[in-house]
Amino acid sequence: MKAEELQQIKGKVEEGYLPQWVVTDPEIYKLEQERIFGTTWLFLGHESELNEPGSYITRMMADDPILLMKNKTGDIKAFLNSCTHRGTRLCTEDFGKKKTHTCPYHGWSYNLDGELIGIVAGNKVYGEKMDKSEWGLRPVPRVESYQGMIFGNLDHNAVSLEEYLGEMKWYFDIMLGRSDGGMEVRGLPQRWVAKANWKMTSENFAADPYHVQTTHRSAVEMKLTPTDPLYASYGHQVVLSNGHGINVITSATGKSANKYQGMPESMWPMFEKNLNKEQLTVFSKVSTFVGGVFPNLSFLSTCSGSEGIKHNHINFRVWRPVAPDKVEIWVWYMIDKDLPEEYKEKSYKGFLATFGAAGTFEQDDTENWSRIIEASQGKMARDRNLSYNNVANYLMGFDNVEPDENFPGPGTAYPTCYTDHVARSMHKYWLELITKESGGEG
Amino acid sequence: MGTDLHYEISQFLYKEAYLLDRRQYREWIDLLADDIKYVMPLRVTVDNKNETNLINEMTYFTDTKADITMKVERLYTKSAWVDNPAPRQRHFISNVMIEPTSVADEYWVRSYFLFKRSRSSEINTEELFGEREDIIRKVSGGWKIAQRTVYPDQAVLTVMNLSMFL
Repeated sequence: MKAEELQQIKGKVEEGYLPQWVVTDPEIYKLEQERIFGTTWLFLGHESELNEPGSYITRMMADDPILLMKNKTGDIKAFLNSCTHRGTRLCTEDFGKKKTHTCPYHGWSYNLDGELIGIVAGNKVYGEKMDKSEWGLRPVPRVESYQGMIFGNLDHNAVSLEEYLGEMKWYFDIMLGRSDGGMEVRGLPQRWVAKANWKMTSENFAADPYHVQTTHRSAVEMKLTPTDPLYASYGHQVVLSNGHGINVITSATGKSANKYQGMPESMWPMFEKNLNKEQLTVFSKVSTFVGGVFPNLSFLSTCSGSEGIKHNHINFRVWRPVAPDKVEIWVWYMIDKDLPEEYKEKSYKGFLATFGAAGTFEQDDTENWSRIIEASQGKMARDRNLSYNNVANYLMGFDNVEPDENFPGPGTAYPTCYTDHVARSMHKYWLELITKESGGEG
Repeated sequence: MGTDLHYEISQFLYKEAYLLDRRQYREWIDLLADDIKYVMPLRVTVDNKNETNLINEMTYFTDTKADITMKVERLYTKSAWVDNPAPRQRHFISNVMIEPTSVADEYWVRSYFLFKRSRSSEINTEELFGEREDIIRKVSGGWKIAQRTVYPDQAVLTVMNLSMFL
């Protein structure tokens, strides 16, 4: 990648454009793999997915297969899911429970702390000098959690997870820390692949309520959502540090018809104990939180159901980059452990109807993301000199929307969600990372 | 099972597939019993000593007839982009096996499916395959699907969405 090409991207990003060629460019993709996915905090799973000692789940950090295990003392450890002997993938299962993991190639086995505990024919073939403690599973350098959300980072020198999340923690507290028992993931994540670039999918959740009235117009036609074309704009789009962003969507009145997103009143005392006054103000008025943690974790907390009896449901999703034009989508549904079972079931049904692979909203999203790919692979869209004016438009709210100083939450809050402030912030952070000379430690 | 019954139920399943492939979703709904349970669990990879590699706790959908009707009606709107332009789709249904149940006029029917879809000018086609377990009910004037569980064979689905009915 030539320095002047990166410089040109910078100029365009500052003006509110994104050169179209960066969407599917293989060289950009390679830089992203090294300098973004190799250095930022990536979501691995939720603590409720690992119940007891021996529980394990397998996940991916971009292309690295990861094995997460709960050890005897209840700590969650994450390792490269690869035998240290010849590099074979150690565990092929999605989840389970076992005391030891044994490689099917030559039989080396590891305990819940990743220590090598068994070598077939050990001393007879390696002699006395073989020190097993030197051949344990290779740990993910940094593994930290916030509100039950487990993240990993391949950069030994990364800032802490809490520092990285920064102002996003305040919003995570509302969504995930509001009730005493915390959240629980139901079953396992849904997984499927879509023709899309991870930047576009991340942007869609963190930065783009503007798409709702057209992409999801069928919901309007079905009288499930309001006819007002501005309906997803009411509320605030909040720019957070490190490319994170959130949309706090309310309604034309600035309030939600369903206090605390339609949560039952039996839960309210808990919320009022666990959240501060400003958080409660935001939570009582919000209808939908939709946002993202840079680079590729998105979330949606909204309500579904017939008018008057709405149920809150939350989903987190990872857009795992598989190729410049392909993502593997992982969607976790979660809800408060403390809720009555009946409410949980309705919440779950509300989620399935709208989001996830079969959700009516999600279906049309994947359709549009694939169309971006289809039209971004040719000479005109890929031209690095921009001789075909091949830039995408991120000019919404560029110089005509000022921050709302009275918004009670942290971050820079703009008084509409139909603006590209978060997208532009994501582009700047993305560019900052891919233009850094050295990535994380190898 | 008699060959007549086997023929009748197989023809019913082929007719169902034909309606879906022609996007005659409203006609297709008429083949569903009012109390239908239509569910698609997750397929996962687990240690072979586990009894099942299916997850029922989380599903791709758990639909009643009202849920299905809503999805069908959505596809007839002007802005269901997933069906506009119209996808070309085929349901290949085979390996039909039929057993009686404890309820008279209800049969347990297993079939294999291969679903293929072509969108626009895209040269890559999507596919999904697995098996279905149905309860097919004899009612006056014909057959209705009273229950369908769709078991995909893939842990990571290679379709960009599940807008189709399986």
